[in-house]
Amino acid sequence: MSEATQQEATPSLANKAGAALVGSLVGAVLVLGATLSVRGMVSGAADRMKHPEAVKKELAVAVADDTEAPYCTPAFKTVLQRVLNACGLVGSESRRGCQPADVKTFASISDEDFNALFTPLKDRGAVLMFDDGKDDLDPDGRKLLEEKWLDRKGARYFFVVARASKKGNVDMNRALSHRRANSVMLDLANAFHDPDLDKQVGLLWLGNEFAQLGKDWCEWPTSREKKSCSPEAINRSAFVSWVDCRL
Amino acid sequence: MAANRAKWAGGLALAGALLGLVFAAYSTSDYAAHLDRQIHAIHCSFIPGAPVDSGEGNACKTALFSPYSALFRQSFWGGVPISLFALGSFGFFAGFALFVLLGGARTPKRALQFMGTIGLTPLLASLVMFTISAVQLHAFCKVCIGIYFSSGLLAAAGLMAWLALRDDASQASPRPPGSALMLGGWLAALGAASVLPALVYVSTLPDYRPMMSSCGKLAVATEAHGALVKLPTSSPVQAVTLFEDPLCPTCKAFHERMVVEGVFERLDVTLAMFPLDNECNWMLDRTLHPGACTLSKAVLCGKERARAVLEWSYAEQETLRDIAKTNPKALRERISAKWGADVNACIDEKDTTVRLNRHLHFAADNHVPVSTPQMFLGDKRLCDEDTDLGLKYTLAQLAPQVLP
Repeated sequence: MSEATQQEATPSLANKAGAALVGSLVGAVLVLGATLSVRGMVSGAADRMKHPEAVKKELAVAVADDTEAPYCTPAFKTVLQRVLNACGLVGSESRRGCQPADVKTFASISDEDFNALFTPLKDRGAVLMFDDGKDDLDPDGRKLLEEKWLDRKGARYFFVVARASKKGNVDMNRALSHRRANSVMLDLANAFHDPDLDKQVGLLWLGNEFAQLGKDWCEWPTSREKKSCSPEAINRSAFVSWVDCRL
Repeated sequence: MAANRAKWAGGLALAGALLGLVFAAYSTSDYAAHLDRQIHAIHCSFIPGAPVDSGEGNACKTALFSPYSALFRQSFWGGVPISLFALGSFGFFAGFALFVLLGGARTPKRALQFMGTIGLTPLLASLVMFTISAVQLHAFCKVCIGIYFSSGLLAAAGLMAWLALRDDASQASPRPPGSALMLGGWLAALGAASVLPALVYVSTLPDYRPMMSSCGKLAVATEAHGALVKLPTSSPVQAVTLFEDPLCPTCKAFHERMVVEGVFERLDVTLAMFPLDNECNWMLDRTLHPGACTLSKAVLCGKERARAVLEWSYAEQETLRDIAKTNPKALRERISAKWGADVNACIDEKDTTVRLNRHLHFAADNHVPVSTPQMFLGDKRLCDEDTDLGLKYTLAQLAPQVLP
């Protein structure tokens, strides 16, 4: 090899080695840097997973539940809860329904206040009317009852509050209102064969002793819209409604 | 001329590799963020560093949560994201490109041959992923397109390397050939660089097993009226209850994931409709998916075709959602045209409303989260995080019999 050729070759070899060195170093730095950042990302995620409080507070997800309507005031829910406990919907399987004495005891409020609790249910409920001294629902009554039952939406409990008019004695009216409540229950059972019926329907019968309805209840949806309505007639009834409250 | 070509090849490859490295880093970062089992927004832009995108229609989200975004999902929670391999290989190619760029005319022939051949592999991988995006996902993630483009630059650089070699024939001072051993060395270095981030990723992953049983149970295992829907599958071996919304994109992705993974046919599916639409669902103060109540009723009315109606809703989801938002009547016409007047009439029947209401009460009785999809293996609820990235790993742990 001549001297001139040697002089040419030396710098090119040096260039080549330098390029290889620089390339290798840069490549190694990039790969190692990327690897270390991957390690950091995974470790960071693991830390967040172990201490998720701050993140989870922001991302609280709603839980499926029954409807909670604005009329579910504490007073309303207190009565509702007592009805459920005392009338056999919650806990005990041995009894169904509440009679006037029970209601007077557990409601612990006046007749007017008791009825006022149900006022917000005007759009949700209906008054099923009966003939004088009778406890069987007529076809319009059955139709309205079934419509109301099917319009459950997010409610859990269906209330049936049966009454009797002032005509007749207390014992007879108590028994009559009881039969009216049972008549509603029986119709629901026959129409829908719903296995959950007992867990959903709260029966109250008030006879003529407690919380009689005033004439203003004639303005509510009734099963006899086309017939005249009097204070006596509106109490020969069963008020029915789904109740959109959580307990 | 040949020296210039080699330098151009090196420069182009360096640009492609660095760009690919950046896009792969974003993709990896988005994937790794989800390892904390929380919900995160995802980068989806051609511009590196652009803000994250939390939209439902984010194509990068579709790609990330698809079964194709990671390997070894059965062995590691979330699997090993393929972007990790891209990250390592682009790092290697950046170094190699710099070597070619600085070497110029003295860059050995073997190096140019290596660049011309192996430099094509990222493009081949990109072509495979592009095909999957087009055929399976029907969505093109911008970060992925960034990687495809970077791979294209590397391939173009490889082509230029071959041109530089061709020009060498007419050069007075020939390019040094380089040792054949170097090819093996570079190949080994590329392999090591490609797997190193993945190995470190896997070794750093936390233990997810204790988290899997922490998301609750079905308190009421069956619906008393028999209102829920049984979906037919070919070889059911594990009872599951699914809560789904026909217009929920996550439900669609979840369903498709289970079908693609071969899991769905091995499930004995009880379906509870849970439309996130306050037309029928009282648990929402606003409608998230208008039309979901109508389509849920259509699924119920489909009877023995319920699965087909549900899968049609998923397949046509975007169109159906758009129609339902603006013209509910047109949605009914679509249902009638596809499934017949009987199904359409059934949607209006009171019994159907009552039945759907029972599905919603089943959700309320169980106090499940107001979100979809939800999956219960027997009575055990799979955490949301385990129904997407961690699905296969979770199933491998809790119900291996459903994996093919």
